[in-house]
Amino acid sequence: MLAQVFAVIIFIAMFVFIVTEIVERHIVSLICAVLTIIFVFGVGMHSMAAVIETMNLKSIFTAEFWYLSGESGSSSAGINWETILFIFGMMVMVEGMARVGFFRWLCMRIAKLVKYQVIPLFITFMVLSTILAMFIDSITVILFLAAVTIELSQLLKFNPVPMILSEIFCANLGGSATMCGDPPNIIIGTSLGYSFTDFVTNTGVIVAVSLVAVLLYFYLIFKKELKPNVSQPIDYGSLPSPESTITDKKGFVISSIIFAVAIVLLVTHAQTGLTVSAIGTIVAIATLATSWKYAILLLKKVDYKTLLFFIGLFVVIGGLEQTGILEIMAAFIGKISGGNVMVMVAIIIWLSAIASAFVDNIPFATTMIPIIKSLSVTYGVDLSMLAWTLAMGTDIGGSATPIGASANVVGIATAAREGYVIKWGKYCKKMMPATVMVVLISMLIIYVRYL
Amino acid sequence: MEKQLIISVGREYGSGGHEIAEKLSKHYKIPLLDHNLLDEIAAEKNMDMEHWKELDEKHKNRLSSRTVRGYSSSPEENLYQMQFQYLKNRALSGDSFVIVGRCSETILKEFDSLVTIFVLGDIDKKVERIMRLYELSKNQAVKKIREKDWKRRRYHNSFCTGKWGASRNYDISINSSKLGVDGTVEMLIDYIDRRRIE
Repeated sequence: MLAQVFAVIIFIAMFVFIVTEIVERHIVSLICAVLTIIFVFGVGMHSMAAVIETMNLKSIFTAEFWYLSGESGSSSAGINWETILFIFGMMVMVEGMARVGFFRWLCMRIAKLVKYQVIPLFITFMVLSTILAMFIDSITVILFLAAVTIELSQLLKFNPVPMILSEIFCANLGGSATMCGDPPNIIIGTSLGYSFTDFVTNTGVIVAVSLVAVLLYFYLIFKKELKPNVSQPIDYGSLPSPESTITDKKGFVISSIIFAVAIVLLVTHAQTGLTVSAIGTIVAIATLATSWKYAILLLKKVDYKTLLFFIGLFVVIGGLEQTGILEIMAAFIGKISGGNVMVMVAIIIWLSAIASAFVDNIPFATTMIPIIKSLSVTYGVDLSMLAWTLAMGTDIGGSATPIGASANVVGIATAAREGYVIKWGKYCKKMMPATVMVVLISMLIIYVRYL
Repeated sequence: MEKQLIISVGREYGSGGHEIAEKLSKHYKIPLLDHNLLDEIAAEKNMDMEHWKELDEKHKNRLSSRTVRGYSSSPEENLYQMQFQYLKNRALSGDSFVIVGRCSETILKEFDSLVTIFVLGDIDKKVERIMRLYELSKNQAVKKIREKDWKRRRYHNSFCTGKWGASRNYDISINSSKLGVDGTVEMLIDYIDRRRIE
């Protein structure tokens, strides 16, 4: 009982400190992790075994961590080193691609392909944002797309805010289509043993349907705002050519190959048996080896704070799991749904979406994984269906408010730095209906397809 | 070439800090940056900054904003960053100017040419001034002073580590009620000139 009380207090305190940003979130999660080890596992449980299980270090030294010969999933208890290593590897690869100008080139190439026409640009950038976010983190996607959008808007004389908002939404949407698109999906996939293909054939299908609705929705609400200011002449000669954005031609070719290999490895990882931790390691080593001159620079650019945040977070959630708190929460959800699967799905998707709109979706998803596992065991519900429900709720819900997801924050800040203010009112007015629409579409597809 | 001079003036509401800043700007024949800072940024960026005006010198709301890898969703913080960058670039270009508030004593700390001043005042004198300037009753003036100072403190303290009005944060803190606006300006000119000789 004492351990449960400690676990809940530490968990709530962690959330409060993350939301208020009094201290940086990785420091909060690491302090809370230490407190969990001392008070939950030590004072409350007197269990060294719980500490060892939560640290989960031995998992790294098993063959299954790198190569899976059959279907199996790692335990959700404790630090998910597979997620940490994969994200690290992808971060190194993305930094390598950014260094050579890959993302700017891609944006400019597409802009040129659509002959710099605003509406086709608006549509193609939304699709580009969705596709890129399926493979790389949404922060990087928006960082480059928003910057190029502003640059083009100044040259082509249109308001970049509608385009940036649409790109943000699509980055969050694209992230939910694959296992590696959004951190909650990586954690769900590695914790429950789902592959890249599992995600694409389930959440990916939902995203494909939703994307059509999203394109139509944003086109209808933004078409007036996107009309270029025709009173000012456009100087097409001042537009940068796609080739001029490449800073290192040889590096560009190598980075593109590594990116292509990473996609192939991810798509085929269920067949090859390579785990995401192995794929992360391979792409990181390949990037560092081929750009060894810049290896230190690339390693310095990795967002270690996020990785540390994950480590601390896994320990705190481990505390809740080891003390049985999450089982109690699962039983509560089961009770209010009366064992009805449709109600259960509705609760999970809407609860995840609403919570993710206001708090970081990573701790939320991490907390929910043991809960859906418990619901699946207790009520005999298909675990994979609950996993897709959780993934869609947490990934899409974040789009609703300016603070819901990292891509939103980066997009808003990038626009602000160039003088375009996006306040809560404007943001929510356009993005909340889109969020509700996609959550509804997801729920309906889950009902029709799985029930 | 004239030696660079940057004067940062923090002020309590009703202390006459803004008027003092204006007089210092006239005396040294250097531009005054206050509310017009946004117009300057708008001119530099060649865009309309009207939407930002209501956010000027407003504090960041921690609950309704989030920071990711140094990027913030807070419009107030983004405006602060924009002003920060503008002031820093202007100082780096060698320009001299007087800047009123906007955390300038912290933002421009690294510049040797910076003189930081905080102007405070006795409450009765501040109330008298606000009543006269805005034709308010005593109670209204007291309320206005409290509100304005509370907002300035919150704005400053949400972006800077040093506290608003704390003497350690400034080169000189001066009570304008004792010497009046002109007397205070004379004293400050003497101080600034001595600093410039060093």
